[in-house]
Amino acid sequence: MRIRLDPWPVDIEGGQLTLKDFNGEIQDVETPRWAAIPARPIPERLRQVFVVDGKRRMESRLFIEDDHGQSGLGGFGAYVVGAVELCPHGTRQAELRAVKAARILAHAPDLRIDPMTLSPRHPHTGQLEYTPVPMTGTDALAALNVLQQHMLAAEQNLSHDLASRVPADDQDDREWLSALTVQDGTLRGRNLNGAVVGCVKTMETMYLPADRASLLSELKPGERTPVMRMTYSNGQFTRLIWYVRLCEAAFYQHPMAGVMRLEMFAPDDPSFLPPIVRQVANLSGTLLRRLGSHAHKDPRAPQNLIPTAALEQAMGRSMGSADLVTRRIRAHIAGLQGVA
Amino acid sequence: MVLGTQDVTPVSFWFAVLPGASVQLDDLVAVQTRKPDGSFVNFYGIVDHVRTRHEGVTFDSDVQDVAAGLLPASVSYAARVLVTRVNPENFIPPQPGDGVRHARGDDLRMALSADKMGEKAFPGGLLADGQVLPVNYRFVNGENGGHINISGISGVATKTSYALFLLHSIFRSGVMGTGASAGRALIFNVKGEDLLFLDKRNREVESREAQAQAQKGLPDHRYALMGLPVEAFRDVQFLAPPRPGSAGAAIVPHVEQRGEGVTPFLYSLREFCARRMLPYVFVDRDASVNLGFVIGSIEERLYRMAQPSAGGTADTPYLTVEDWQPDTEQVLDEDVRFDEMGSVRISTFAQLVAYLEYKLLDANDGEGDRKWVGKQSPATLQAFIRRLRGVQKHLTPLVRGDVSADQAARFRPDPLKPGVQTTVVDIHTLSATAQMFIVGVLLRDLFEHKERVGRQDTVFVVLDELNKYAPRDGDSPIKDVLLDIAERGRSLGIILIGAQQTASEVERRIVSNAAIRVVGRLDLAEAERPEYRFLPQSFRARAGILQPGTMLVSQPDVPNPVLVNYPFPAWATRLDEVDDLQGKKVEEVGEDWLY
Repeated sequence: MRIRLDPWPVDIEGGQLTLKDFNGEIQDVETPRWAAIPARPIPERLRQVFVVDGKRRMESRLFIEDDHGQSGLGGFGAYVVGAVELCPHGTRQAELRAVKAARILAHAPDLRIDPMTLSPRHPHTGQLEYTPVPMTGTDALAALNVLQQHMLAAEQNLSHDLASRVPADDQDDREWLSALTVQDGTLRGRNLNGAVVGCVKTMETMYLPADRASLLSELKPGERTPVMRMTYSNGQFTRLIWYVRLCEAAFYQHPMAGVMRLEMFAPDDPSFLPPIVRQVANLSGTLLRRLGSHAHKDPRAPQNLIPTAALEQAMGRSMGSADLVTRRIRAHIAGLQGVA
Repeated sequence: MVLGTQDVTPVSFWFAVLPGASVQLDDLVAVQTRKPDGSFVNFYGIVDHVRTRHEGVTFDSDVQDVAAGLLPASVSYAARVLVTRVNPENFIPPQPGDGVRHARGDDLRMALSADKMGEKAFPGGLLADGQVLPVNYRFVNGENGGHINISGISGVATKTSYALFLLHSIFRSGVMGTGASAGRALIFNVKGEDLLFLDKRNREVESREAQAQAQKGLPDHRYALMGLPVEAFRDVQFLAPPRPGSAGAAIVPHVEQRGEGVTPFLYSLREFCARRMLPYVFVDRDASVNLGFVIGSIEERLYRMAQPSAGGTADTPYLTVEDWQPDTEQVLDEDVRFDEMGSVRISTFAQLVAYLEYKLLDANDGEGDRKWVGKQSPATLQAFIRRLRGVQKHLTPLVRGDVSADQAARFRPDPLKPGVQTTVVDIHTLSATAQMFIVGVLLRDLFEHKERVGRQDTVFVVLDELNKYAPRDGDSPIKDVLLDIAERGRSLGIILIGAQQTASEVERRIVSNAAIRVVGRLDLAEAERPEYRFLPQSFRARAGILQPGTMLVSQPDVPNPVLVNYPFPAWATRLDEVDDLQGKKVEEVGEDWLY
């Protein structure tokens, strides 16, 4: 009998043991030769690496009656996106960029709501400002969905604003890879042309056919698979993907522990592999191994990157204490009703 | 800005130092907070703790990731303030987020309570940032308090240098007002001949001050910043004990380095008796209770003997007695002289001892003179004589009857001599017993004089090694005098500037009577003793690393001690520091010689 452990802590849902089959399309775009490719050093020209992540929090679900006799559901929510800027050569201090919480008051579409400002009792502790945003649905999760959409859009914009442009075809060679964004999680939406690489920590779907999957267990730390072009079964989104191993799996772990899937947006031309994507793939092993965390500091090490962990902490802080916000909301409502 | 993550109290708080700013220990800061009614309260304080740390990281090892540029972290630079003053006295806490600024100008005056001192402030040194520390003269001259106590390890703490600097500052800053010449100082020199050149300019002062000015980035040299002249002490008399020699030899001061300007001092034998100096010979009076009675009764006997009326003898430096037939051996040995009347002249201390021995032990076939002996047991009397014999050698040069009446008057030490502001009494060549004797007698005389004339003419007494003269345990006449000075001296205008290595070994009442306390480098174990409780914990820890020229000064107006540095002495402290040119250029001196 042979038993292996899931590398993720037990309270993370799903874990990494079960993999769904992928029923979209996979084609070779870098090389037809299916073998490990060693990591290359990070080119000097790459000066900035941004690690981007987002976070959201529902602060309160609401039942709202507006001044015009309408009523409906709503919610107070906060989200924050932010980036860590760092130099991949280690010549600068890493810095937090644009970590600032935004607050929305999601509400049923037919209500008329003014922006809300929650003033503190104590003048030294700042105000909370909620911008009204109509929801698209009416179910209980609609407010959360609005919040999530806002957060993802903000994250996507931030990622692409920061990164170098990726040329769209053979003729387009106007830019070098000088700024790269590492985004936590999969890329969403349509193609945007920034050098943004999505890091998928938890693999839920096996995109590789069975005859290729064995290579993942054989990768040495830093090595990657060739870049492939992946198209979802509905034909809607295409991505360039590859796998990279960050660390040896411990003997007790699942052999795929320490393997991460990376993806970038694919250009429309199915045979064109932008040189920037190849560069990113080449340096990804080196870069991510450097950014990888350690097991004693983060239960999801090494995939959860050091800057990401710091960013998550900073984002949580910028939203403020949930307890205090809830209390502030209650105090505000009490004030509105003349109770306090 | 005042931190909100630490408790903010009216007496102590933390503040964050913004990027680009810097704060060091001992900086004085000011905070203004606004009360709900719109009025303002100002807090002034001193920084007693500064720290930096990585903020937002969890593990100590994260510092590697931060330094490698992987982990974003900010450096949190924070400082703790001990509040020295709240104005108006509303003891509310400052609010987190209140701005903290460096105290300068008026803020500084408020922080150090200089506004309360008014014109009674004199410079006590320079703060870490080059500003002047005002010291309240009312707490020095006895008006509100008096006495200064300085503690610190020998050599590193340079206690005497600071005491002299304070004197210089008091005398020359004009704080004594019109009576500037009225202030006097009596300084005991207990170590080397360091203080025998106080009236000479120091040749190194200019270069040392220029160096310090450059090092600390001060706008001017330190004397100028404090408004003090760079000059040696004025109107100084130097007293030194006479060189020991045979009776009748020339009386020359016992000093090695200084050739001129030193006056020898001594007491006549008659003065010794008439002015009841005997107890000061016995340092350890408490060795036996009985001995105390013997000393008391003999003192009284000698006093009567020295009265001109008693026995009808003239008021000469020596004593004459009629009831003594010294042994022939003694006559030869000790040069005893008989005069025409058949009485014996006692002209040396040794003879006095021999006479006492005769009266107590030998007369009446070993019974002793009944009037002198009283009811004391022979053992006690023997102990008394033994002790006298022990100090005889040390006191012989100081207490003598072999001088003329004129000499006795001329060489009598008088710290209050007209025209003299500072008196340096060199006792370093003397044995411990003789040192105690001189200090005790001089201070007792001074005290008795001040008791008669009152507090005008403040006299500053500078005495190092207080632990020797007024130890915590035991009892001695010198300690009594010092205690008198400490407890009543300030109302009489005697101010004790005392110094010692370890305040814990000095009589508690003397240290606790000092209004101004100064600490130089301390042994860390010593710093934890209760005598230093006036220092906050962080200062006690720092007292172990203070450099020479740096002192912690605590005064009643400012609840926390303040770190100051003081300038290099403008007066010479060694022979090779003496500026032969007296501050003039070589050419000028040359011209003086030529014309």
